[in-house]
Parts: sequence; C-alpha cells; structure tokens
Amino acid sequence: MKIAVLLSAGRHPVSGRPAPVPVELQAIRLAVEIGRQFGGDVTGLHAGPELGPLTDALGHGLARLVHLHNEGESDPAPSLAAALAEGAYDLILAGRAGQGGEDSGLLPYTLARTLGLPIIADAAALALGEAPGTLGVEQALARGARRRLLVRLPALVTVHPAAPAPLPFAFAAARRGSSEARPGRHAPAPSPTVEERPYRPRPKLIAKAAAGSTALERLRAATEAASGGGRLLVDPAPEEAAREILAHLRALGLVTAR
Amino acid sequence: MTELAFLLSLTILAMLLLAGALAARRARLWRVGRAAKIDWAAGLLALPRRYLVDVHHIVGRDPYAARMHALAAGGLLGASALALLGVIPLLGGSRLFWWLTALAFAFAFAGGAMVGRRRLPVKPARLSGGRFQLLPFLLAAYTGGGFLVALDTALGGALYPLGWLGLACAVLGGLGLACQIERGPMRHAFAGAAHLVAHPRPGRFGGERATGLAPLDLDAPRLGAATIEDFAFNRLIGFDACIQCGRCEVACPAFAAGQPLNPKRLIQDLAASLQPGATNAAYAGSPYPNARPVAGIGGPGLPIVGAGAMIHPDTLWSCTTCRACVEECPMMIEHVDAILDLRRFQTLELGAVPARAAAPLMELRYADEPGGRALTSRTDFAAGLTLPLISAKGEAQVLLWLGEGAYDLRYGRTLRALITLLQKAKVDFAVLGEEERDCGDLARRLGDEATFQRLARANIETLSRYRFSRILTADPHALHALRNEYRDFGGAYEVVHHTAFLDELAAAGRLDLGALDAPRITYHDPCYLGRYNGEVDAPRRLLDRLGIERREMERSGKRSMCCGGGGGAPVSDIEGERRIPDIRMAQASATGAGIVAVACPQCSAMLEGVTGERPAVHDIAELVLMAVEKAGTTPARPAEALV
Ligand code: SF4
Ligand code: SF4
Repeated sequence: MKIAVLLSAGRHPVSGRPAPVPVELQAIRLAVEIGRQFGGDVTGLHAGPELGPLTDALGHGLARLVHLHNEGESDPAPSLAAALAEGAYDLILAGRAGQGGEDSGLLPYTLARTLGLPIIADAAALALGEAPGTLGVEQALARGARRRLLVRLPALVTVHPAAPAPLPFAFAAARRGSSEARPGRHAPAPSPTVEERPYRPRPKLIAKAAAGSTALERLRAATEAASGGGRLLVDPAPEEAAREILAHLRALGLVTAR
Repeated sequence: MTELAFLLSLTILAMLLLAGALAARRARLWRVGRAAKIDWAAGLLALPRRYLVDVHHIVGRDPYAARMHALAAGGLLGASALALLGVIPLLGGSRLFWWLTALAFAFAFAGGAMVGRRRLPVKPARLSGGRFQLLPFLLAAYTGGGFLVALDTALGGALYPLGWLGLACAVLGGLGLACQIERGPMRHAFAGAAHLVAHPRPGRFGGERATGLAPLDLDAPRLGAATIEDFAFNRLIGFDACIQCGRCEVACPAFAAGQPLNPKRLIQDLAASLQPGATNAAYAGSPYPNARPVAGIGGPGLPIVGAGAMIHPDTLWSCTTCRACVEECPMMIEHVDAILDLRRFQTLELGAVPARAAAPLMELRYADEPGGRALTSRTDFAAGLTLPLISAKGEAQVLLWLGEGAYDLRYGRTLRALITLLQKAKVDFAVLGEEERDCGDLARRLGDEATFQRLARANIETLSRYRFSRILTADPHALHALRNEYRDFGGAYEVVHHTAFLDELAAAGRLDLGALDAPRITYHDPCYLGRYNGEVDAPRRLLDRLGIERREMERSGKRSMCCGGGGGAPVSDIEGERRIPDIRMAQASATGAGIVAVACPQCSAMLEGVTGERPAVHDIAELVLMAVEKAGTTPARPAEALV
C-alpha cells in the first residue's frame, strides 16, 4: 500500500514564521500507523519554491519527503496532481486546511477532481476495512459527533484536528532523513494578489435568541452558533438552493448585493 | 615473628591479590565507555586533597558515618598494611610493632562495630541490604581475627589457641571482604578513588560550582545515551563508585513524592548494566516508589531505558534536575548528567518525550516560546509602567532579562515590583522586549539539545548587538543558562540575580527600606540559585534588612529541597502519591512562618499552587517593595483630624 501525505508551507499562527501545519503532521501519524498495519510506505509531497522547515516532518515519523520544485508563485495543484498520478498512491492524505497561506482547504478537492478520486473530509481516525482494498474512516462532525464511513481505495482523505496528536519530533530522525527534489510543473498561481498574514481564529457568529425565550433556548442559540441564521431546505430544486445560498451570503455581507 | 603472624601476612597478601584481580576484571568493563579527556597527572596529584577535603566535607554532614568510616577504613588499611609489613624481619621481630598493629586492628574493629550498630537490629530504609548487610560480619571477623593474631604475636604467642581462632576468622573475613570488591560494598573503595582522579567535573574540587551541562555535539552519529557504552568511561567509574548510602534517596524530592524515581537505584541500574547479561536482581535497597514494571535485563549493547530494559521512562522524566542528589553524594556521582544523557537520547533520537512535553517543545521550535505566545506580549505584564527598550536606547547599565515568568499573571506582579524598585533606585536599565526569546532551559532539561542550542545562539546574537555591563534577571533558570551554559556557545556575561542586585542597592543606600511588621518569614532557596550557583547569602542578607524574623526550614541553603518546578517536571507530570510543592510547603509551615519568601518564577508558581491553610508566598522583590513603600509614607494623620 502506498500512502502520500500532502504538506503545505504553513506558518506559525502567532510568530508568523514558516512552520509545518499541525494537522498535516497529524495526517503523517495516521498514515504511519495505517501503513504499519497494511505494510505500506508513506511519502510526503510538497510543491513550492522551497521546503523550509517542512523537513521537520521527517522528524515526526515521515520516512520519505519529495519536494516538487516550483519557482516563486505557482499553483501547486498541477505539480501535485502529476506526481500523485505518477506515484499511483492508494491513499492520499491532506490536512483539512493549510495554515497561514490561503488556507481555503480547496486544494484537496481540486486534486480529487483532477485525479478522479473520491474525497472524504475530516478524518479523525483510520482503520482497515474488512474487505480488501477498503478503508474505514472515522469522520469528525460538528460538536464532537463521529460518523464511520467505508471507502474503496484509492481515495483522498483530509484529516481533522481531532485526529491523534502528531508523533513527537525526533531531531535525529529529521537530520538523518533526506528529501528528494524533483522539478514541478509550473502553472500560474490562481490569485497572485493574496495578502499573507498570520493566522488568527475567526470570531464565531453567535445567533441571538428571540427576546423572551427560555434560558435553554438562549443557551442553545449561544452555543449552536455555527448552525444559526439559515433556513433548512430539504431536497430543494438547484435554482432555489442557489438563490437561498446567495441570499445568505449577501446577508452576511460576503457577496456584494447587485 | 610468630608462625601465626606470618600466616596473617600471607592472608593479607592473598586478599590483596584476590582484590586486585577482581578489581582489574571490573575495571576492564569500564573500557566499553566513550573516551574522555582527563588530566590524569593533575587528578592523581589532587587525589589526597579531593578525598580528605571534598569527600570528607560531605561525609562529615553525618558525624556518625564520618567517625564510622574513619575508623573502619583507616583502621582496615592501616592494620592490613602494618600486618603485611610484618614480614620484614626487622619490623616483624619487634613486639612494639605488633602492639601497634593490634591497636590498628582494634580501631578497625570499632569501626566495624559502628557499621553493625547502624544496620542492626533494624536496617534504616536508605541503606541497602543483601551483600551490604554482610559487611559488619566480615569486618568483625577480619579485624577481630587480626587483632587476636597481632595481640598474640605482641605477647610472644601467649594466646596460642585464641590466636589460631583469630587467624581462622581473619582468613574467612578477609577473603570475604576481598570478594566484595567486584560487585559488593568494597567496590566503592577502588572505583571511588578512580572516580576522584578521573572526575568528569574537576572544577567541583577547585571551589567552582561546575553545574552547567556539557553541550552535545549535534553532528555525532548517536545523540545521547542509549546503551551503557554511550557514557564516557569516567562516568561508568562514577556509577561503580556508589556505596549505596542512600543519601541521594533521602534528598530526592521525586522519591519523597512517591514518583517512580530513586537516584540510588538509578545509579545501581546503570552500574549493573555494565555487566554482560545484567539483571537488576541483586539490588537490595529501596525500590523506585510505585515502580512501573520493567524487564530488568540489560548489559553492554542493550538499551537502558524502556519497559523491556532496566529503567522505565517514567523514572527518567520524574527528575526535577534539582541536583540535591549530587549535592549529598559522598562519592561525588553526577546523577543529573546521567539522567540528561539518557533523556537526550529519548528526545532527540526517539522523540519519546512525555505526552504533554511535546507541545511546548514544538512551540519553542517555531515561536521561540514554550506557550506559543507572542514575544511581543512578554512585556504586557508591565502595562502602565514605563519599560525602556534597549533597541531604543542602544545601551544600558543593566539589561533586565524577563524570562518566562513574564507571561504568568502571578509572577507579573513580582516583575512589576522589581521594575518599580529599579526605577526608585534610579537604575539605568532596559529590556529586550520582543527580541527576548526563551532562554532554552526547558528545552535543555527535557533533552532537546537541538532547540536549546538554536535558542542560545539566537539569543547570543541578539545580545551581541547591544551594550550593557550586566544582565539582571529574577529567573534563576535563565540566570543559570545565561551565566553558565551560554559560555560554550560564545556568550560570556556577568549575570546577577535580582536578590543579589537588590541587596547591593540596599547596601549602597539606594533603596530606603522601612521595617515590615509582617509575621515570621522563611526563605525557600531555588535550586538553580542556591545549589547550581551557590547564592544562598544575598537573599538572606536582603531579607534581614527588612526587619522580619527569619526562620530556616528543615532543609535550606545548598541542601534545600526543590519545589518540584524544575527540569520540565511540571510538563512531564509523572504521577506520584503526593505533590512535591505540598511537601515543601509543609516544611515551610513547620517553621511557624507566615510568609514564604521565594526568588524564582517556578517556585512562586509551584508554591502558590498549594491549597489549604498555608503561609503566604511572596517573592523577595515584592517584600522589598513593601518595605520601601513603608519607608516612603509619612506617618498617617490621626483619624480625627480628617473629620
Ligand atoms: S549515588 Fe551517592 S548518595 Fe546515592 S547511594 Fe550512591 S553513593 Fe550514596
Ligand atoms: S536531581 Fe533531584 S529529582 Fe533528580 S534524581 Fe536528583 S534529587 Fe531526585
């Protein structure tokens, strides 16, 4: 079994210095542990101008690190897609979002579409499937809920911060490990004018309970922030759904009203 | 000379040969260790002084043991040497000579009796049993027997049958003693002498504290110690020198708290690992409290740490690096160095740090701060005070190193007090502000030498850009790193602790101190200030200027007990039965003091964490500020006048 872990050029949320992304280090741990059961090997892949402190991933249990070298601002997706297709990996793991870059979390979806692979988001744990060639994924849902899914490999899985903590760093392993540089594919960066700044957690949108509601309702409104503010549509027509989403985004001020 | 005396001399010769052969066999095992640079000539020349002055200074803390050892060891060596010299006809023919020999044997016998009285009928818990419990009997047999033979010879054979009995005892006891040289109690004699000659920290004998850790070569093929061969050979000699007196065990805070660490057992496990096919079965002292199960097998080439080896990792991570064991050890063994070497391998090679220690080490790697907090917010505690930045001034008389305590709300109060005092005394000082990184103490004690060295170099680089004559800090851990450990990386600074500095200011009359009418006070010495740096007087002098009655705790000064906050122990958080700060606080309460004065952010945090009825905890800086404010106030007007 061949496993790839995608590593992005992260930044420390406070110091702003280049740093590995914790959730990707957690992905390495899941990969290493599942690889040990399946007898697989794990490769880290990074596309970008330089590795920087990503070589530290070698100290967190990663055995091999491949650097797809791109000059400057370049879209990493084509390089990664090509390397992943060429490597014929059974399992591709990525963090649910990077940290300090665009951190949109869209790259795994782009890759899954390019490679024609199923994608499962937010794995907190991985296990062997009973049937050969399948993988059990424990998906982390909101408020601590979990869902078990079974997926036929190959597949792309993103990892959730609820996964086990990264393997502790071993300096000597990082020093001994080596990385292999390969030329990446140059592709213009999709949006060359992103502003880079240190990560900060976003404020939660707290829904307000109607005046005069019970204490329980107010508590629920304050704690169930993420679910607040929308309408629940069951099985709507696509046009109606799109309208509804746009209206919601407009209400949040994320789309300018036209 | 009688026939008997001649046979006694022969016995001693046989003992010597046997002991020599066994000692040589043991010493050959030391050769598996790494090479070390040793000044043999200087060591040999210094041996008598190191033994008679330095060792006896420690042994003498227990006057009974000191007398016992002087009689037993002095008597044994003296009597045996005399009896051996008896083969020289000129001496052996003299009755007076044999009287002298008998006297020496009598001294040794008295020493042996003291050994016995200490162990019998009930052996104190800190002493080992097993082969060690045999010692008084062997000593009694040999020295008592020798005495009879010498007396018989002195009297010209008048005690004939008794003399033969004596010889039989001497042969049994003497050869028995010689057999104890390889793995028994007598090993400390030759290994101890060799250890004094080849001691890894010779500075300790020259009046230095010599407590800084040796830097690790990060390019070495293997980092830290995994097997017994990874220790330098003079360290192996040190392990073999242990006499299992248990003084370290009594001093160890982790042992007292019921955590699975006993420094004596640790040294014994290391010494046992030297033997091919080693097991820990022969050890007969107190165990690791709440010992985690280990296989207890080892030997050269085999791992030392692990559930399948000799020492459980929890044992290693229980240590607070307080050096109390080192301070108490009469054989001058360096326990903390050994623990650190083992930790370095666990951390750097295996990444096997305790679960909760991984996160702070990671934050240190990418944010230079174990809590992952912004370096800019280090000065937040001083909101409202003017804190001059050295980057703005370029130079200052005194550079104030804030340390990790600055992020702690409680300790922020201490630092505010210190800064207020500096301002009142018109000291020209400045801070590094966001340019101050963690000093690396935590990383180093947790075995992460790579992070420590990176931080040390970065801090040295920063410091080199500014001009200042001294570094002032309230954190003894930072003080120790900056003063003693940065030197190896090219940073030599004069570093002064705030207690010494405030004492200087007070002595120079730059602080006007009023008398505090506080209750009695007791002072808790921080390990990294007292034991590591020998600074025990300045804080006491300063406290005495405040006009409060000061009482000493049961353990104080260089022999003080740790608060449990050092060595990364709070983040390693190994479970025990009690908490170390609770034990220490109980000692403080026992003095009847209403205030425990502290001088370290760790001590402050650990002791403030003690719950229940207890003395208040105040840093000395806070107390000094109170006294200054007391002096500054004009006497209050009577209440009526206000109406
Ligand atoms: S290590 Fe030192 S103090 Fe501890 S038992 Fe051995 S000789 Fe005594
Ligand atoms: S340094 Fe302190 S905690 Fe560690 S073994 Fe020695 S006495 Fe115990």
